[in-house]
Amino acid sequence: MEAAVNETVRETTETPPDVRGPTSAWPLSIFVAGWIAITLAVVGTLALQVARAVEGGLITPECQAAGLEVNKSFGARGVCNVVTALRSPAETTLLVLALALGGAAIVAGWTTYKGMDTRRKRDHAIAGAVLGVQAALVAAFLLLFRSGSLLFPFVRNVLNFTYLRGTFHLFLEAAGRTLYMAFLGEAGGIAIGLILALFTLSKRRVVRAPARAYINFFRGTPLIWQLSFFYAVFTLGVGLSVGTVFTAIIVFALNMGAYLAEVFRAGLQSIERGQMEAARSLGMSYFQAMRYAIVPQAVRRVIPPIMNDFVVLIKDTSLIFVLGVILGQEELFGVGQEGYSSTFNATFFVGTALGYLAVTLPLIAIVNAAERRLRSGLVGIAGAA
Amino acid sequence: MQPEDRAIVRLEGIHKWFGDHHVLRGIDLELDAGEVQVVIGPSGSGKSTLLRCVNMLEIPSEGHVWFEGRDITDCRTDLNAVRTRMGIVFQAFNLFPHMTAVRNITVALQKVLKVDGREAKERAMEQLTRVGVAGKAEAYPGQLSGGQQQRVAIARALAMRPKLMLFDEVTSALDPELVGEVLDVMKQLAEEGMTMMVVTHEMGFAREVGTWLIFTDGGMVVERGNPTEVFANPQTERLQQFLAKVL
Repeated sequence: MEAAVNETVRETTETPPDVRGPTSAWPLSIFVAGWIAITLAVVGTLALQVARAVEGGLITPECQAAGLEVNKSFGARGVCNVVTALRSPAETTLLVLALALGGAAIVAGWTTYKGMDTRRKRDHAIAGAVLGVQAALVAAFLLLFRSGSLLFPFVRNVLNFTYLRGTFHLFLEAAGRTLYMAFLGEAGGIAIGLILALFTLSKRRVVRAPARAYINFFRGTPLIWQLSFFYAVFTLGVGLSVGTVFTAIIVFALNMGAYLAEVFRAGLQSIERGQMEAARSLGMSYFQAMRYAIVPQAVRRVIPPIMNDFVVLIKDTSLIFVLGVILGQEELFGVGQEGYSSTFNATFFVGTALGYLAVTLPLIAIVNAAERRLRSGLVGIAGAA
Repeated sequence: MQPEDRAIVRLEGIHKWFGDHHVLRGIDLELDAGEVQVVIGPSGSGKSTLLRCVNMLEIPSEGHVWFEGRDITDCRTDLNAVRTRMGIVFQAFNLFPHMTAVRNITVALQKVLKVDGREAKERAMEQLTRVGVAGKAEAYPGQLSGGQQQRVAIARALAMRPKLMLFDEVTSALDPELVGEVLDVMKQLAEEGMTMMVVTHEMGFAREVGTWLIFTDGGMVVERGNPTEVFANPQTERLQQFLAKVL
């Protein structure tokens, strides 16, 4: 019966045009070409740098011409190595290859992706072309940058890593202090934020109003002002000789409390009304229902934003510099700032950035993993039920 | 209790406004121990609100709710204590998703009734067995079917050893093939003499299990009586129309 209907349809209608077009070959090779191009440009350049640094080498005539002398300019050898590696024939080969392969991937991917007969092949072609664009951009930038007359001053002032020799323990200790302040600040913020969030959800305005005033105040004034003001209040106003670190932790907790209160409030409000009703109908008081039914679910949902705020706080600990930290007690930014002001070399800031990233990148990875787990985990299943 | 005051629940002139919306317009009801009160009616007729007024999840705007001889609409009433003696089962189950089935039951036993851990667990397992999901005691709600979740919810309410059970359209969110297992549990409960108030769209269940039936529409009781008689001989046009649609 159905077949018969199909037969008649086929007979009465024209053969539709084949909209798929002809099948193209080699989508994977486009993808691989893109990958190789970007790898050559980025990994290859770094590898050449490492090789040159390990191998060492004398000051080249070119470097001497730029004013680099071993006993006169600090870190002359390191700077010379960086520049020499960047301007080496090997690097030229790498960059030209990357440019050529990248260009080929762009052209091949762009012209063929529409003709691919499966989505996977099409995705490979498109990804290969995009990688080609990235590789070409990186290679072109490096080619241009390394040939400029600004390369020597740039490397001497920003990538003069000899300055960082022997400072690793300083950065390590500073990272420890950064984490210590951020962790205690966050812990205090979680406690304050949860209580404030419960207040803001009260049905009584007299309970809500002070919590809202607190939140608006701490969200409405800059953290740098809060640090300065509370330090002045503690030392001058109250006459407590508490340290800058202690003040900072208190202020971080007060400030985070305001932000986390909003996070918790959103989390608590996202729990279905039926949960509260079910708990109350079992005879639980409002606070028992919150404690056993609502808060545990809300906390799970807000773990990612809480950790996000933790990452933000890690970076905001740098603001403690306005309080003038004692030498040897600096956090990451302080160490960089201290090194910079004693040498006027910005390589210390590069070291600081590496220090922050070493702390924050793993945390960001954990946040993302937590988000994925939450989306696929217990709460997700229950939310769908 | 006085012999003449055998009513477990008595509603007197219950009115409920949501803003300008007059949802309940003066409802009276009385239910003795061991009776099953069935409430039917079109959606939006105030059935659920009426049921939720019985355990004061909704506070009646006017009128009184008497439970075991006491006026629980008196604002001095400890509603938490009252609610331990009155179970409710919801349309959306409302199990705690972060707790296993057995923990869903023991949490209130331990934290509200102060039953010690081991006894709470025994009572929970007893109820899970009664509703036929003992095998799923350690499962989380998200791992259970709708019918299993709803039976756990019934077990959770029963473990408190309530004097009255309220059922708020408990099969409405279930796939058709899962409705039977939940209704069977409720029938069994009724046979064991539990006093129940049931808002439902299951007319067969209403006829078979109900001691009394009320048909509500527009926030008022339009018809009431013995379910078999009411179904066989509807007096009002509104009930006739309603039955024509649902049967």
